[in-house]
Amino acid sequence: MRRLLALVWLLQALHVGLAHAAQPLLELVVSQPYLEMHSGPGRGYPVVYVVGRDETLTVLYSRTDWYKVRAPRGTEGWVRRADLSLTKTDSGEPAPIPPYPEFSAHRWEIGAGYGVYNRQNLVSAYGDFGLTDSLDIEAVVQQAMGTLDNRVIGSIGLRHTFVPEWKWFSPTAGLGTAYQHIQDKVPPAPLESSNQMAYVSLGARGFITRRFMWRADWRHYVVFNNLNVNEELEEWKVDLAVFF
Amino acid sequence: MESRLSGILLVAVLLSGCSWFHRGDKKPTPVAVEEPQAEPSIIEPQVTRREVKTPKIKAKDFEVGAYFGALSIEDFGTNPVYGARAAYHVTEDFFLEGFLARSKAGQSSLENVFPDITVLSNSGRHFTYYDLDVGYNVLPGEVFLGRGRAFNSALYVTFGMGDVKFADQDQFALNFGLGYRVLITDWLAMHVDVRDHVFESSLFGVDKNVNNVEATLSLTTFF
Repeated sequence: MRRLLALVWLLQALHVGLAHAAQPLLELVVSQPYLEMHSGPGRGYPVVYVVGRDETLTVLYSRTDWYKVRAPRGTEGWVRRADLSLTKTDSGEPAPIPPYPEFSAHRWEIGAGYGVYNRQNLVSAYGDFGLTDSLDIEAVVQQAMGTLDNRVIGSIGLRHTFVPEWKWFSPTAGLGTAYQHIQDKVPPAPLESSNQMAYVSLGARGFITRRFMWRADWRHYVVFNNLNVNEELEEWKVDLAVFF
Repeated sequence: MESRLSGILLVAVLLSGCSWFHRGDKKPTPVAVEEPQAEPSIIEPQVTRREVKTPKIKAKDFEVGAYFGALSIEDFGTNPVYGARAAYHVTEDFFLEGFLARSKAGQSSLENVFPDITVLSNSGRHFTYYDLDVGYNVLPGEVFLGRGRAFNSALYVTFGMGDVKFADQDQFALNFGLGYRVLITDWLAMHVDVRDHVFESSLFGVDKNVNNVEATLSLTTFF
């Protein structure tokens, strides 16, 4: 137990040392009558310390909507974002607490979801970067697990949001290129174990709360194979995502 | 002679008169202002321009770690499992988490009773899964160790889906979990988790949902 504690202390010293070596910390002055510090980053954790007006806080780091701060006498605790944004810098300007990203103008999305691909269960994960407010480039990696085969599909494409200002529901359309790799479960083996594909998609996206958003997509794939007729596949999926 | 002299004078007067009228049109010759070079200025400016650079606040919303424990593979006994996990804490309540782990199934009861029967090949006994989960902190709180120490903790539930590769086949699997997180420091946490991976299997001839419950202990770090 003592050895474990010593190890924890050593790791902590290393961690703190590295953190301090990196860059100076932000200092803020309390301008409201008092500021409450909680024992943990959550509304349920008790208030353990109160900082008075005109006292200076050092902001160490943040976790979700909470900021870990150090009071003048060295006591550390967690302050909620709304409270910390009322403080000022030493030159009297408002505290530089970044606001929530605006949903209609966000740049990055990362999400995952469930869907059905060619009548197979589909697990999907995606990353999306907004070139403009309405045009995005997205990369999707997904796995479709069926009774006959297992497929891994990767795709990259463009996605247009028709009215990005519509917060809760906004239709989208997209097109792109994809690649699928097939591992058969039951013989006979497929004629080709991998295919190049192209897709068109129709979908929608919307805001949920804070940094959460949802996305739904229907895709129609054309599979380029060596047969006379190209195979066509359908997919739909629903994603839960976080935006930045 | 006289008239010639007066004529010259007249021309001279006219010319000078013309030049007098045009005196205002003269372009002002640029005057070179001579700066006192050797002379020191009286007031030395004391103010140096200050570079105001606001330090950025580092966000520590990510959590990564490793875990080990026991996985009960239905029909194949309980076996050790090792894995890695990574989470992104979106709000104080919700987080998104990914898991990747591996185990190896033992002998089924059938194989124990009839040693000549082999249900799975050696490679087929590998049980590998990944999960993409949403977690919710149900009961945040504190645990107390003795009189002077308190650690932040949270009881959370997770729900997600992923893939289980067992018997050389990939299956779509849902998972449900209950976990308990204790933060030893603000950046180091210990978890105890119980999770069930449910998927459809027809390994023994009949389609059925198999439950594979695991109990694990994790060590994670926030960054």
